Amino acid sequence: MEKDGERAEGRKGIERELKRGSLELIVLHLLAPGEAYGYEIVSKLTEETGGSLEVTDGTLYPVLYRLERAGFVSVRWETPQRGVPRKYYRLTAEGRAELAALTQEWTTFAKAMAKLLRPAREGK
Amino acid sequence: MTTVDAYIGSVLAQLPRSTPLREQIALELQGLIGERVEKGQPLAEVLANLGDPAALAESYLLAVPLVSAPLERRVLAKLVDAALVLGAVAVPSVVTGFLLAPESRGGLVVAAMLAAGFGFLAYTIGFEYVRGQTPGKELLGIRVVRESGAAIGLGQAFVRQLPILLSIFFIDVFFAPFTERKQRAFELLSKTRVVRA
Repeated sequence: MEKDGERAEGRKGIERELKRGSLELIVLHLLAPGEAYGYEIVSKLTEETGGSLEVTDGTLYPVLYRLERAGFVSVRWETPQRGVPRKYYRLTAEGRAELAALTQEWTTFAKAMAKLLRPAREGK
Repeated sequence: MTTVDAYIGSVLAQLPRSTPLREQIALELQGLIGERVEKGQPLAEVLANLGDPAALAESYLLAVPLVSAPLERRVLAKLVDAALVLGAVAVPSVVTGFLLAPESRGGLVVAAMLAAGFGFLAYTIGFEYVRGQTPGKELLGIRVVRESGAAIGLGQAFVRQLPILLSIFFIDVFFAPFTERKQRAFELLSKTRVVRA
């Protein structure tokens, strides 16, 4: 029983690692159609994946900060009629290039994994 | 002070003052929390989703690279600080010395030396804990952080100065040129390091 628990824990670890490795790609991709602010980005992710890919606010916001520091997004503050100002993010040219490169890398990797993991053919 | 202010306050407390866009981080978190609560999500859940404030601050700090301070700058900063503390103690001591009878000047010298020694400890611990740098370190463009880049705690500021109290400062310093992040032995122990500001 204990071993099962450990295995489940290990699988969760893999999920966490995969997510961490692809967070920047996820955020760049969600920003591709146009500018958005943090809350919108999280909502869009839940919407587009039907909730199967959840990212917590605590994970997402530091990624936005990293992307801004790296020059992949530019920002603009806007104050709605009432409430707190919002920080809008938009891809820069460097951001678009990074998105293309990461997408390429991800696709190549996913293809290779799918090839490796496909069910063994009969007679082999 | 509201729960939200307290939460954001504890995130900011971990972010050194020199963190780029520090105020923007606070403002953005405030906006996010406000918006989620407005949409009907319970505040406790919103904050749980953001996670432990210290962990959140450390995720932000991953984007700020740390560069070890050159050792010669650290030595110079120490000399500046020592001069400042010595000056602050020496000037009033000399003035007092002139006012005292010659036979009671011996006690004054002992008192001045003690004041300089403990004053230097309190000065260093106080400045490093409250501002992340002593005036000497500020002048030389270096600062003290946790290994994660977060602001150091009072306990850490104290442990950093233990070698002076224990009179093993020279053994402690001897480690700095040979460790990967140019840390003294008691910096390794307190999980702190000195970086470029």
